[in-house]
Amino acid sequence: MTRTFGFLGFMIAAVLLRGAQAADLQVPKQVVAGNAFSIPTSGSGEASFYLQGPGSASKRKVQLGNAIEVAEEETRDAGRYIATVCSSDGCNGADFFVTASGPAHLSFLVHPSRVPVATNDAITATAFVFDKFHNLVLQPVKVEFRVSLKDAPEVARAETTSNGVAWMSMNSSHKGGLAQVTASSGDILEKRVVQQVPSDACNLRIRAVRTGKFINVETDPVRDCSGNPVPDGTIVSITQVTDKGKTTVDTPIKRGVAKAQLPEAGNATISVASGVAIGNEVRVGGAQ
Amino acid sequence: MRKISPRLCVLLALAAGAFGFLPMAHAADALPQVRLNADKIAPRPIEELTGNNIVRDYSLAWQSLAEAMDQNRAELLDAYFTGFAKDRFSSTVADQKKNGLRTRYIDHGHNVQAFFYSPNGDAMQLRDTAQLEIQLFDGSKMIRQENVTLHYLVIMTPGADRWEVRSLEAVPNF
Repeated sequence: MTRTFGFLGFMIAAVLLRGAQAADLQVPKQVVAGNAFSIPTSGSGEASFYLQGPGSASKRKVQLGNAIEVAEEETRDAGRYIATVCSSDGCNGADFFVTASGPAHLSFLVHPSRVPVATNDAITATAFVFDKFHNLVLQPVKVEFRVSLKDAPEVARAETTSNGVAWMSMNSSHKGGLAQVTASSGDILEKRVVQQVPSDACNLRIRAVRTGKFINVETDPVRDCSGNPVPDGTIVSITQVTDKGKTTVDTPIKRGVAKAQLPEAGNATISVASGVAIGNEVRVGGAQ
Repeated sequence: MRKISPRLCVLLALAAGAFGFLPMAHAADALPQVRLNADKIAPRPIEELTGNNIVRDYSLAWQSLAEAMDQNRAELLDAYFTGFAKDRFSSTVADQKKNGLRTRYIDHGHNVQAFFYSPNGDAMQLRDTAQLEIQLFDGSKMIRQENVTLHYLVIMTPGADRWEVRSLEAVPNF
């Protein structure tokens, strides 16, 4: 008799517990960031609902049998979420992924900020595409890169993102000045500026004039190979070789030309260089 | 009573350590194992030193993430996380703290493939296949435990003296 009541009691307890049990959670496999959804539950009684995501960890009381509402604010960060419901007889959980919504921001890196003209693959641009919640957009997205310079034709190139990234490299143009580099995707536009500066000096030429105890040496206007004036301050080395030895004067370009005054020392050969560029040689003292 | 020699004490201590009798370091303290494959990286090749630094810093990032999530200390994220990754995990830690929750990661290693290295070396993208045991706690009660293989898409950027995780996003697959 006691045994029969004991078994009956166990059965009643089991049925009551079953009523409070949280059934397996039915969650969507994927949710687009910032979208609300419901998780249906069965059973009855109070339970705790936990939602753990890449940027949040919430806990709240829910009523089993009613749907659990997951608000749009709870699904803004892309990544893996774990939903868990715990009732008096245990916990059930499920995971789902939140994916980025549409492109809304570009993170745009352009290098370098100053670049010599006419240099191959000198400008590189990398664009990361993010949604409005700053999730990386992993779906392929077309990004258009443009480089424009005053009085020069615009260069445009379209690339498609892979894993949220698009990049390109291009030559700097032959003309110095401020180049505007842009990346755009739909109506999102990001701008950067690259200063294209003259390259190394090219076709360096000097003239030497004897004036009493000195030889005055002066360059022609110093330009790069594309004809852009090399900036003032660039160092030009002027070297004089005589029977007594070698003298070098490093002089900055001022107003487009470099000048030096060398001591008169008989027959001399004077040469000029700037960076990797070597210019002409002149002879003084004897015949030039 | 017979005295135990100091040498025997050392041997016993070593044996006790080996068999786990001494208090062991917490799982979150162990440096996660990271194996890097950069064979298909583009458009820029990876230098050996950079590869070594990525392995070291990514491993330290996971270690600090595990500690931050277990101890609910967001400041532990400062060293190896930056940008939105840092903001998000800090927010998770703050929420956990508020709700009396914590997460324990027991890290069983990461197979990392570096596949994008920006031309100027200012960003690297990785695919990480991570073997993790994740335990969720409400107070002292474990409410969920799982052994999972997770796929992470990672962006790392160079900081002053290390690589930092700028984005760490779990994805369903690669």
